Amino acid sequence: MPGSRRDEQWRRDERLRPHQRRLPVFLLGASYVGFVISLYLTLVHYRGYIAPCHVVHGCEVVQTSRYSVILGIPVALAGAVFFTLMFYLGIGLLTRPGLRLVRAYKLLAYAGALAVIPLFLLQAVVLRAFCSYCLATEVMMLAMWGASFALTSPRQMAEAREGDAPPER
Amino acid sequence: MPGRTFLRSKSVVWAGGSLLLLLSAAALYVMTGAASSEPSRARQAGAGDVAFGPEHARLVVIEYSDFQCEFCARYAPILATLRKTYADRVHFVFRFFPLNNHRYAMIAAQAAYAAFLQDEFWEMHDLLYEHQKEWSESADPRSSFDTYAESLGLDIDRFHSDMDAQTTTEFIRRQLVEGTQAGVTRTPWFVIGDSAVFPRGTDEFKSLIDAAL
Repeated sequence: MPGSRRDEQWRRDERLRPHQRRLPVFLLGASYVGFVISLYLTLVHYRGYIAPCHVVHGCEVVQTSRYSVILGIPVALAGAVFFTLMFYLGIGLLTRPGLRLVRAYKLLAYAGALAVIPLFLLQAVVLRAFCSYCLATEVMMLAMWGASFALTSPRQMAEAREGDAPPER
Repeated sequence: MPGRTFLRSKSVVWAGGSLLLLLSAAALYVMTGAASSEPSRARQAGAGDVAFGPEHARLVVIEYSDFQCEFCARYAPILATLRKTYADRVHFVFRFFPLNNHRYAMIAAQAAYAAFLQDEFWEMHDLLYEHQKEWSESADPRSSFDTYAESLGLDIDRFHSDMDAQTTTEFIRRQLVEGTQAGVTRTPWFVIGDSAVFPRGTDEFKSLIDAAL
């Protein structure tokens, strides 16, 4: 008896490599962590105090520097918005991956990775102080960027499946 | 029907993801509100403290500070402004908290305490923070401290002997130990009333003091 379309879809997806199934979950997790940290820093900023430092020294210097606010907007808030967008894109990749979505994700991941460079250099060279929260979000961003290279579009997945399909008898 | 089932599971994922973000945001909002201050275990102001302002003021503001700490130097002008603004209403207390990783923090504290004994603490305090970079990077900060002491008209011989006196180092170490036991983990560390606070700048500081008064 033929199975349902969904059953067929699941059977085909079983033949995907493990990383292709887990990748959207990893991307979701990384963007969620980035969102939590960025939102925490945003709330701390607006509440008027400083998040205490752990692991590295210099959180106070970084969080109160003039570079922590750009055009009146806290950098942490921009980060929270960005990670929220990546989170929803990640959900899209998980539930209904499409070529446009994959491209959008990769583009934003590139933009995020590029943004990490000046933010890190400001800490390392100009302020000579590091904020552990900022570093954590930068690591998340770079991880998402790196993982985005492994993102494949449905067309590429279909081609891979065709390549693996047993010959017809 | 498979189409409907698929649609329902997508909706669940979207709704679940949104709920996760909303709940996280709410939890962070509550958490950051609670963390803006914490109960302080710092010893209340006493007779032996380095202080400014009326002794029996309604409110006491305590600062634990390290003269070689860059961030403490950034707060020095803020505290100077606050002392001017609240001179008649708030008792400001300065407590020494020289950190081990600052090479000259202890000797700078000794210089400040020696100036305190000649009633020129706040002037020396301002000079130490104003010229922090200069003496921090010097091979011999004592000569800088002598220059500041001379500019304040201190008795230099007494300044030197007070700087190196055992009572001076004991006083400073006692404050360091007390601060550590009170939960001070970094500098500067502020206590307004009964709460340890971490204000970002002058306006936030003023809001906290006004709220406590």
